[in-house]
Amino acid sequence: MKGRVLTSDVLLGIAPIALMIAVWQALISFGYAPATLLPPPGQVFMRLVRQLGNNEYQQDIAATLFRLFAGFAIAVVLGVGIGLAAAASPAVNAVVRPIVRVLAPLPKVALYPALLLLLGFGHESKITLVVADALFPILLSTYYGASMVEQKLIWSAMAAGTPPRQILFKVVLPAAMPSVLTGCRIGLVISCIVVFLAEMITSTDGLGHVLVTAARTFRAVDMFVPLITISLLGLILNGLLQWLRSYLLRGFPEV
Amino acid sequence: MIEISGVSQVFQTSGRQSHLALSNISLTIQDGAFVSILGPSGCGKSTLLYIVGGFVAPSQGTTRVKGKAITGPGPDRGPVFQEFALFPWKSVLGNVMYGPRQQGVSSAEAEAQSRQLIEMVGLKGFEHFYPKELSGGMKQRVALARTLAYHPAVLLMDEPFGALDAHTRTRLQNDLLNIWERDRKTVLFVTHSVEEAVFLSDKVVVMTRSPGRIKRIIDIDLPRPRRRAELLLDPHYQKYVVDIEGMIDDTSEDELHP
Repeated sequence: MKGRVLTSDVLLGIAPIALMIAVWQALISFGYAPATLLPPPGQVFMRLVRQLGNNEYQQDIAATLFRLFAGFAIAVVLGVGIGLAAAASPAVNAVVRPIVRVLAPLPKVALYPALLLLLGFGHESKITLVVADALFPILLSTYYGASMVEQKLIWSAMAAGTPPRQILFKVVLPAAMPSVLTGCRIGLVISCIVVFLAEMITSTDGLGHVLVTAARTFRAVDMFVPLITISLLGLILNGLLQWLRSYLLRGFPEV
Repeated sequence: MIEISGVSQVFQTSGRQSHLALSNISLTIQDGAFVSILGPSGCGKSTLLYIVGGFVAPSQGTTRVKGKAITGPGPDRGPVFQEFALFPWKSVLGNVMYGPRQQGVSSAEAEAQSRQLIEMVGLKGFEHFYPKELSGGMKQRVALARTLAYHPAVLLMDEPFGALDAHTRTRLQNDLLNIWERDRKTVLFVTHSVEEAVFLSDKVVVMTRSPGRIKRIIDIDLPRPRRRAELLLDPHYQKYVVDIEGMIDDTSEDELHP
């Protein structure tokens, strides 16, 4: 029964994607867009398959993935750490809150030119930009999750003999896990977007760089390949995170 | 022995006003006694329990357990809350093992003890279930087992059966009494049900509505072990219930005509 529901959900999910590809094909078939500028999906997918076997392209994927993972991982550590500390300590909260309010709405990509000057064209500038963008959703959702932990869970642990300084990791963090992971999921999507964007602006490798290079030389097919690659990577990573989430939250209701 | 002397509790409300929740409570509870605190909602009876638990510091007055002043929570006083407050990320076994593990009991030893307790509260076979997979009554059994697991001398029960349906409630009352008969821990039991208080307790402390004061302390002189079917027919039991219900009604009248 559950298996059937899952399949029909998957089918429903595939339908709009199939529709999008059909519209894409129709635009070309009915002559609304010339195939030289908007290549047909079949051709793009063939190129994608070929490129995935290409060593140079694989290195570009690796560069993008490395930046994405490094940036996302640092954002998780910092976001969860600062979020927990702010929820646990009014003093930390007093320090963190104004900074977050000032920095969170700032378009982090505007920092990118400065980061390039400071950190150079390599991994560091891109990883830093990913951290700057992915940090806030993780930090905020950790903070709110940790602030809303039911008082009586903490009391139950304290009565059982847990010392106050261990409450944070033994009760608050696990109890806040649903909202921490929601923040991580948003942070991951943002990481995918930002790493690609940074590579488009200035880079010597990575998927964003492949796209920009192809566009500048009017190679329309090669322009779409990295786009589809990053969305497939996003899909896979999100799937992995979802799997991790349902494992970590197996005891929580409504997951 | 629990000694509560001159305890008052003032809360700051949002409008910068202070609200007197408890006023000058003094109460002594002997070791091994089952004492219920009975009162209308908002009389501060749960607050009194939290003060004994060390979760809330009183604005005034002192509380002592076995002669030692209470400064915070400790494994000598085990709470059981109406909301169960089980750790959702731990299985039934994990929840029950938590206390012994915190007390430094080895993993194997803690597991053996916990399995025994889970069996005692009638949940054998549910060790690896998560709280979300259990009914309310089962959750409260787990919560009781989790608290008993670290051997508190005093059980602090905060309307533990208040969220349960009548049938489950009755069964849990019986089971609690059976468990209590074995080792006669001191129990401080907060409830707003008169029948529950009379059925379970040696002593019923009736409180007035806000500010919470002790109105009367009634000794329940009914034989133990108590059997529900016999007790319901016992005129003494019926008289206790009717008398105490009258006191609660009076309390409400006071509230209406201050």
